[in-house]
Amino acid sequence: MATARLPRVGVVKLASCDGCQLTLLDLEDELVAIGQRFDLVEFPEATSRRSMGPFDVLLVEGSVSTPEQAEQIVDLRAQTKLLVTIGACATAGGIQALRNWSNEPEWRASVYPRPEEIESLATSTPVAEHVTVDAELRGCPIDPHQLLELLTALRVGRRPQLPDEAVCAECKRLGRICVLVASGTACLGPVTQVGCGALCPAYLRGCYACFGPRDAANTTSLATWLGGERSGVEVDRLFAGFTGYAPAFREASRRAVEVMQPAARRRRTKSKAT
Amino acid sequence: MVTAAGPAFLPRKRLDALLDLLREGGRTVIGPTIRDGMSVLDEIATVADLPAGWRDEQSPGRYRLSNGHGDRVFDIVNGQMSWKQFTFPPRQKVGEVNRSASSGGVSFLPSPPDPDRLAFLGVRACELAALGIHDRVLAGGTFVDEDFRARRDAALVVAVQCTRSASGCFCTSMGTGPEVRTGHDLVLTELDDGFVVDAGSPAGERLLARLPGRLATPGEEAAASAAVAATRAAIGDPVATDGLRDRLMDQLDSPRWAQVADRCLACTNCTMVCPTCFCTSTSISSDLDGTVNVTERVWDSCFNPGFAKVAGGNFRPKREDRYRQWLTHKFATWIDQFGTSGCVGCGRCVTWCPVGIDVREELAAIAPPALPVERAFIRPAAATPGRFEITTLRASHPETADTATLTLVPTEPVLLAGLPGQFVMVDMPGFPAFPISVSRYGIDHLLLTVRGAGPATAALLDTPVGGEVGLRGPLGQGWPVDRALGRDVVIVAGGIGLAPLRPLIDVLLAERARFGKILLAYGARTPADRLFISELTTWADRGIEVLQIVDRSGPGWAGHVGVVTNLLDQRDFASRPTVAFVCGPERMMQATTSVLRDRGISPERLFVSLERHMQCGIGLCGHCQMGPFFVCRNGPVFTLTELGDLFTRDGV
Repeated sequence: MATARLPRVGVVKLASCDGCQLTLLDLEDELVAIGQRFDLVEFPEATSRRSMGPFDVLLVEGSVSTPEQAEQIVDLRAQTKLLVTIGACATAGGIQALRNWSNEPEWRASVYPRPEEIESLATSTPVAEHVTVDAELRGCPIDPHQLLELLTALRVGRRPQLPDEAVCAECKRLGRICVLVASGTACLGPVTQVGCGALCPAYLRGCYACFGPRDAANTTSLATWLGGERSGVEVDRLFAGFTGYAPAFREASRRAVEVMQPAARRRRTKSKAT
Repeated sequence: MVTAAGPAFLPRKRLDALLDLLREGGRTVIGPTIRDGMSVLDEIATVADLPAGWRDEQSPGRYRLSNGHGDRVFDIVNGQMSWKQFTFPPRQKVGEVNRSASSGGVSFLPSPPDPDRLAFLGVRACELAALGIHDRVLAGGTFVDEDFRARRDAALVVAVQCTRSASGCFCTSMGTGPEVRTGHDLVLTELDDGFVVDAGSPAGERLLARLPGRLATPGEEAAASAAVAATRAAIGDPVATDGLRDRLMDQLDSPRWAQVADRCLACTNCTMVCPTCFCTSTSISSDLDGTVNVTERVWDSCFNPGFAKVAGGNFRPKREDRYRQWLTHKFATWIDQFGTSGCVGCGRCVTWCPVGIDVREELAAIAPPALPVERAFIRPAAATPGRFEITTLRASHPETADTATLTLVPTEPVLLAGLPGQFVMVDMPGFPAFPISVSRYGIDHLLLTVRGAGPATAALLDTPVGGEVGLRGPLGQGWPVDRALGRDVVIVAGGIGLAPLRPLIDVLLAERARFGKILLAYGARTPADRLFISELTTWADRGIEVLQIVDRSGPGWAGHVGVVTNLLDQRDFASRPTVAFVCGPERMMQATTSVLRDRGISPERLFVSLERHMQCGIGLCGHCQMGPFFVCRNGPVFTLTELGDLFTRDGV
């Protein structure tokens, strides 16, 4: 990409905590080099300089949660060549999508003293439900190595290496012992897209799927297995997390509540470990 | 000091002496130990690191440890990690592919092997068998994984005979254990008060001679044998291996594949914990400018959705395709490839499957080995992944809107000595290497005809004249020209499929008198999508009947419109001995070979060239498998007889 003009890059947010944007600033060793190779024209966490495009590359953080954001994302799309969603909110709706299962006006009334002043959509939805998305970086927050790989691939002109495999593959390569098999800990690694470096199992915790479901994730089989030692409500809670609104996990939650709950007591040896 | 030949007895309290001996010369001892309450293989610095009194309890999808079972240190049958973690690490640097920021020149820096000196302590019989299988797969053929071989050569192996078994064990069925027979330097059998120790190699005998202790008594030897025999009896014979290979291959249409796929998570755990699974991918870490590109060989798995993907689609799109590939490879086609089953019966895939799928339930019966015959090879230039020969781009000639023919000049003459139909792996800094068929061998150059189907091929087409490109090859089995001597020849090409056929046409024309009638039938989407347009006329002038057809007509086209089989379905090839060479999209080759068979050409004289996902090009990475074949090494050219019904089957 030896063009004279540097690619114009924007970083914007919708409904989100800003953690994914900060991942870019966390690339401390590469930040200067990135600044020399990309023209960061819009990045509120880093600069007060403002631009409304056009953008060669736009990193979009956050879900669409308000009427204003629903309009904003359409405008941004029109100004952008390559739109990349970053993080669990932008790619799956985020933790705030839990409200999609509830009565939004009731929630609003219970949280805010003057709910009539809050303008909010009934649902929190991923950006791809509103506009075409060219690439996505998953995670809560995103992984700095994947972000750097995306930027590098843009420079080199290759396809970014963002594998579509399970967390398990990386977990095993790192020599970590399976917490699901060896201690019965609920772990969503087998149905979750890799990218985090199998962080949670390294601390003997189960994966809670902040990178969201893999392509064609077999959540039904895993939910059935996990349901052998857990109630349907417990299984529902496992899937209804940071990326719970992603279709594969939404379906697993629904099944857990509607199908598994009545048959909660199953005939399988109870694990002594928890 | 033990001096006479025969097994020794090492008292439990002198186990430290064995560790000291193993550590001599700076070796690190690796063995079973407990970390974070989990059973792992890691450094054994002192005897206290060994898991005294710990035992494992296994069932499908479940593994638990408990302790307080006495003093024995080898009572954990096995854990999740296998020794391939050390002999064939999950990530291994292959080399660097760099581009000079100033000159633009390209350099390829392969990583020479630099193995740690390790001693493996506590290797079970099934795991010795697994190491032996890797020796065969990775270092026993024409091409060798140099890093693996160096690590194997540097390691000392201390085996342990099993005096306990786990529920997943079926070494008895696979013929690998529990008795330790071969592949070890030393072997221990644990008794209550110590170990019966014997040697299995000259290095082991030297160690044994220096071990403190005494000769084992006949009673101790008998106790050791009895303990292992009890393990064998406890395991029984859970898998009937008689006829297993043939039975599995006869059941490619079984409804069971879909049923097991309903449970399978395609999470890759079975392949990651398997001590023999060897499939890998290349991963590249580049700096922001793509000037420094470190390539690593990384464990991959046939369960990953991208494993069999090419630019045009996925050869195994469904989970059931992938499960079938894994199971039939492990228990059936592995035998064709390597003369041994790919399974050693360690049971890890049963225990560590997160949803408890048990391969023993999917199986029945054995298979006598039948080694594939590998045809003679010209040893290629830069035979190892990571090694490339630099070639310089002399010219680029556009063929169609998205395709061009590149003239590349190598300094390595072997690159010019290839056969028609062979291919080369092309590498450029920052991109994964990819295969391209040679479309002509020149005196000092070779021609590659490339369609810009993806970023890497597009980047190759963008290479400026004078730019440098890495090549490895020529690789694979080409068109067997000798089979056509004295016979009529039919060449059928679809689209860019004419490119790998052109070197064949060159050879036929160079010795035109030695062949009968030659027919070239060429189909393309439109007149403008045809390759080598000016040569098509030249060939017609030099004694080849050239027929052309296009799917859709275009400006100035007065020829045939339709599919390429239209050119053939009225022909008679039965009256004279005829050989056919076919290359094009897979559906086109299926339709064409079907017509050619109907018109009288027998399947052993019908040759096709297949496309698969090739990463290493030499049968080490596993991506291009199709039944018993590594398409890169056993192909890409096959007879229809070799392929059998694999050729028309989806998802293999």
